[in-house]
Amino acid sequence: MTLFDLALKNIRRNMKSYSLYIGSTIFSIIIYFTFVTLKYSEDISSLAETSKQISSIMSASAFVLMIFVAIFIAYSNSFFMKKRKKEVALYSLLGVRKRSIGFMLFFENMVIGLLSLVVGVGLGFLLSRALLTILMKLMGLDIVIGFAFSIDAVINTLIVFFIIFLFTSMQGYRVIYQFKLIDLFHAEKKGEELPKARMISAILGVVTLATAYWLALQDLTTSPIWRMLSLAMPIVIIALTVIGSALIFNSVLVYMLSIMKNNKRWAWKGLNLMTSSQLLYRIRGNAKTLTIIATLSATTITAGGAVFGLYYNADKNVQTYTPYTFMWEGAPQEIDPHLIEHAETVHSKTLRIEQGAYEMEYAVIKQSTFEKLAKNLDWSDIQVAKDEEVLMIDAFYNEQWSQKVDSVMIDGTEYKVAKLYDKAVFNTFTIGASAIVVTDKLYSEITADEKTYQAVQVKDYKNQLALSEELAAKTENFSSATEDYRASIEASGALLFVGSFLGLVFLVATGSIIFFKMMTDAEEDKGKYAVLYKIGVSKREMKRTIRSQVGMIFAAPLGLGLLHGAVALTAFSNLLMMNLLVPVLIWMLAYTLIYTIYYFITVRSFNKTVH
Amino acid sequence: MEPLLVVRNAEKIYGNSANTFKALENISFEIDHGEFVGVMGPSGAGKSTLLNVLATIDSPTNGDILIGNDNIAKMKEEALADFRRDHLGFIFQDYNLLDSLTVRENILLPLAIAKKPAAEIKERVDTIARTFGISNLLDKYPYQISGGQKQRTAASRALVSNPKLIFADEPTGALDSKSATDLLESLSKLNVEHETTIMMVTHDAYAASFCRRILFIKDGQLSKEKFRGTKTRKEFFQMILDELAQIGGDVHDVI
Repeated sequence: MTLFDLALKNIRRNMKSYSLYIGSTIFSIIIYFTFVTLKYSEDISSLAETSKQISSIMSASAFVLMIFVAIFIAYSNSFFMKKRKKEVALYSLLGVRKRSIGFMLFFENMVIGLLSLVVGVGLGFLLSRALLTILMKLMGLDIVIGFAFSIDAVINTLIVFFIIFLFTSMQGYRVIYQFKLIDLFHAEKKGEELPKARMISAILGVVTLATAYWLALQDLTTSPIWRMLSLAMPIVIIALTVIGSALIFNSVLVYMLSIMKNNKRWAWKGLNLMTSSQLLYRIRGNAKTLTIIATLSATTITAGGAVFGLYYNADKNVQTYTPYTFMWEGAPQEIDPHLIEHAETVHSKTLRIEQGAYEMEYAVIKQSTFEKLAKNLDWSDIQVAKDEEVLMIDAFYNEQWSQKVDSVMIDGTEYKVAKLYDKAVFNTFTIGASAIVVTDKLYSEITADEKTYQAVQVKDYKNQLALSEELAAKTENFSSATEDYRASIEASGALLFVGSFLGLVFLVATGSIIFFKMMTDAEEDKGKYAVLYKIGVSKREMKRTIRSQVGMIFAAPLGLGLLHGAVALTAFSNLLMMNLLVPVLIWMLAYTLIYTIYYFITVRSFNKTVH
Repeated sequence: MEPLLVVRNAEKIYGNSANTFKALENISFEIDHGEFVGVMGPSGAGKSTLLNVLATIDSPTNGDILIGNDNIAKMKEEALADFRRDHLGFIFQDYNLLDSLTVRENILLPLAIAKKPAAEIKERVDTIARTFGISNLLDKYPYQISGGQKQRTAASRALVSNPKLIFADEPTGALDSKSATDLLESLSKLNVEHETTIMMVTHDAYAASFCRRILFIKDGQLSKEKFRGTKTRKEFFQMILDELAQIGGDVHDVI
């Protein structure tokens, strides 16, 4: 029996800790391979011709994913190595040269890596098929997926992971050479100092974070700070947020916990003392990890929320500028009467009106036409223009950027603008975004060419692509909500897919990082809990303190991440002037839910390790 | 005859220049081939540090340590690994067995590392297991056997490769008195019959009474030396107790 045989045997018997590591690597490979397959897929690339956005989004995301996967594998690897310290130390003690141990670990890691690659690529192939179907559904496309095994994707994955495994295997060597034999025999750690709560840095942390939030919520157009920092602003905000988070974990939480610990009435009850002092050590020691997790969570929540918001609002966005399903210039066309909800003929004259230095072109419509159109759209604020008055419609009106017009000159007479509507009453593409509603009498007096338009509202407008294409071929100046919706869903659907895909990956990875951390801690805490058990603490009570310790480690970065995300999304929705509340809440809830599942799994494993 | 182990002016200093602590100070002694030497002293006196330094687990700050003709204080990492493999055996208080390997596999580990042929490995493992009375446990896993059996496994592993020198660090520390006696008797027998050289650190006077010679260490320095000579084990035990009472008076600490 050689050392090699023993090492193999050791792998087989230690399957549990190996499987955790192998599982994480396979997971990473599946994720990456699937994503790259989608990127190289012909269906996607034919799609990408129509929208350049998608291919660039895919490329950028693949890069982010690559970095992330590399970090994740490096992390699992170091966790795995830590667990094997004892074994390595023993080999060294029994006189195996470091070079041999290093080679053994290197070899083992490469074998694990190659096996994971085979399994990961295989599973990834199956998974990518399912995911591509989902992607097509989200983009509202009915394409039958002819799915070919992409050699490019395989090669790409092989190269990326080979480099990653080479790197982690080297890492193993580094661990071996830094490792001192004496460390094994100093198992009992040198007494760590209890972290002291520094009031100043605690306050600094809160202030830094508050400043970051305040800056993020500044109005892009009016804020003097934006003007001052311009493009550096987002970087400043992100930097302040990260620093603030780090200080929160390093000082603010430590400060709060020390106060709790010093409150004898609370602390000297049951295991509260144990819970708070364990957390004190843990939070300070893990401040870096917690900051990373909070930042990652915030990124995921923000990106996912924004993308999901866009997708969720695609419907509304289309209707903002294309309220009628179809509009075109000219005579009515034949459409199945069962489909039609409303059909109107619109006459309009075009007027150029001077406004200060500019001359603006307006479509002029009659009051009666306006009322019919608006009624079809269920407007509740239909106003009637009296003599000497006009109504103005400006679909692109923006309080900050648009000039407010109080009166217009038509044929030498001044008319007061009685009301300004900032929404479209007809499709802006066909007639234009700016219109003036005048009394029927005035309309007939205006001398300008009159054009005739048709506005049709049909049932189930999202699924009338055939009709839309038919009309588009036959008419001029054609605008179609069906077509707009398709385009919008195609772009935001791809975004949503990429966003939720990456979001899911980040989520799983952050959860796993906490899981690994907590399992390392559990291993170290074994002795403490054995002592507690011996002095008569019930298992139930121990479970309770474990629950609160693990809970705190999970809740702190999640809470901060949600807060960051909420602020960022508020800024985002202000910028786009979109109400994102519902989709963002759904997104955050989903995120929290999956996170909670991780919490329960971790608590279970922690309990299992300790008892 | 040339001594097996020679320690000359060994020193171990911890800490940096501003705040130093001398764990070992000016230690010199010799151990001959076939001796069974105990090292005793109160907690924190430097017993384990001395053992770690001698066992190449730690390196001395100053001084020389010669085992045979090799100065291990000056040896390089790679050479030390080979040296441990070929010449040293270890027994620890907490056994240090691999849970994923059977008792047999744990014992044969040093031989596998030394790349011995399988037939020889089998024979040697069976012989040493018989000596320690664990032949019937060879296919069990460490978690299936008692503390005393684990320690006998660890001792078998330490001895299976016939090392020049065995280092034992509180080997009976975690054992009940019956298991401790069994282990100590086995070690003592090996020492007498096979002339195995053993150095054992202990603070237990009973365990120490199995040795042939005791080195007392206090505040990092050697303070005294006692030989068993022709005395019975019981007489030697009493002698050690008296000595301990005399040194620091703190008998509670050492018993």
